[in-house]
Amino acid sequence: METKKTRFIKKAFYLLLSLSSIALLIIGWIFLASRRPGLFPSPQETWDRLILFLEKPLRGPLYKHVWDSLRRVVIAVAAACGLGVIFGTALGWSRLFKSTFGTIFEIIRPIPPIAWVPLITIWFGIGEFPKILLVFIGTFAIVVINTAAGVMMAEPLYLAVGKIFQANNFQMIREIVLPASIPAIFAGIRTALGVGWAIVLAAEMLGSISGTGFLIARGMQIGDTALIFICMFIIGIIGALLSLFASFIERRVCPWRTEK
Amino acid sequence: MSVENGKIKLELENISKSYKVKKKDFLVVDNISLEVCKNEFLVLLGPGLSGKTVLLNIIAGIEEPSSGKIFLDGEQIYGTHRSICMVFQKIGLLPWKTVMGNTEIGLKLSGVPKRIRRKTAQKFIEMVGLKGFENAYPHQLSGGMKQRVGIARAYTNNPDILILDEPFGQLDAQTRYSMQDEILRIWEIQKKTIIFVTNNIEEAIYLGERIILFGKCPAKVKEVYDIKLQRPRNNMDPDFLKLRKLISSNMDIDLGV
Repeated sequence: METKKTRFIKKAFYLLLSLSSIALLIIGWIFLASRRPGLFPSPQETWDRLILFLEKPLRGPLYKHVWDSLRRVVIAVAAACGLGVIFGTALGWSRLFKSTFGTIFEIIRPIPPIAWVPLITIWFGIGEFPKILLVFIGTFAIVVINTAAGVMMAEPLYLAVGKIFQANNFQMIREIVLPASIPAIFAGIRTALGVGWAIVLAAEMLGSISGTGFLIARGMQIGDTALIFICMFIIGIIGALLSLFASFIERRVCPWRTEK
Repeated sequence: MSVENGKIKLELENISKSYKVKKKDFLVVDNISLEVCKNEFLVLLGPGLSGKTVLLNIIAGIEEPSSGKIFLDGEQIYGTHRSICMVFQKIGLLPWKTVMGNTEIGLKLSGVPKRIRRKTAQKFIEMVGLKGFENAYPHQLSGGMKQRVGIARAYTNNPDILILDEPFGQLDAQTRYSMQDEILRIWEIQKKTIIFVTNNIEEAIYLGERIILFGKCPAKVKEVYDIKLQRPRNNMDPDFLKLRKLISSNMDIDLGV
């Protein structure tokens, strides 16, 4: 039987377990650092590098680089969502639209975003726009596919409700189909934010003078492993925050969805 | 016909429906002709899977018949019609809308201004006893409350004909009884032509002015009963039990296969 005491002990045990695994990681880190000084910076060196960076910015302060990357992702993903939801809805709803544009979409979609880099660089250089465009290309399809799937799988009963109350095509989409597809659309947005975050880093590594991707690439060029570590941490944290952000927006937009 | 003035509201003429299953025609509704009188409480009784729901969907205009005609007030209709509304078996409240949002949807879709449609919807929300729940979402309601919203939603649209497809099938027995009284009470204050479908004999006798008994799939009319029992009806009444016995002896048993 589970008493209050045993439950507490169990809880403490599991907490201890996860804390010790983190401790183990740090110990392993320190150990490796001691074996390969220079190639593998210790926690202390990484921390010192971070302080140094905050004191002596590298082409702008740290937060500016993070902000630059984030801004590019957010702009691109917002555009991808706006257009993607429209395109995806049309694709999922209208047979006519699907047979007209669906095939073209299916041909272009499998091209990985990175394969667009050379063309985009030749056409648009390495400014702000080509990076945003690249992230857009990589995330648009994700939103489209998810939206179209959501629209096509909309609960037939809800459609019947729309039909019985004589909704016209436009009302059907606005009042029934889109709300019914929101879970699928948000799944797409969450994926798009994650993928967009990965693509912006790649874009910045290939040619940029700002952004987290630029920073980590610079770390590679000058052999500054501590800087690379810092960037990797930040990239991980931002990635996680983006996912949380998407869930937060979803909860705000759909109050009817119960917590599970 | 048992009904006041006997004016025919809805008429089905040789309605059939079949689906293609593995390149073979599978008949679900077999040549049904029937008349529904104005403000009548008609019950369609039949075993599960007897094609009743398909017939209802055809009357409501959600599905097209393979053959046959439907007349409303003597005029042939096609597809959905403003005067015919349906309370679905699975209710089908839109989870993203509140009780108010669900109730007013019919009026919203037909372009009634917000203030007016709110007022009408409010009236019917109160009529089904859900005052105070206007801003609740469907997932916060019990099964019986959801079904009340489904009924309020249909009434708010002010149809002449209301179709109820096994509306209480998923409720527990207690809620079911009180909902039966509720639907009769609403029918008394807001007379409408009601087509009520059920697979429950007691429910059929308790509610109906006329019962049309359906056979097993494909749906076809097996027998018609006029129910002349006094309301409120009592399911322990000898006449009630006699009817019950008579109808059950004619009802096909659904083995659920």
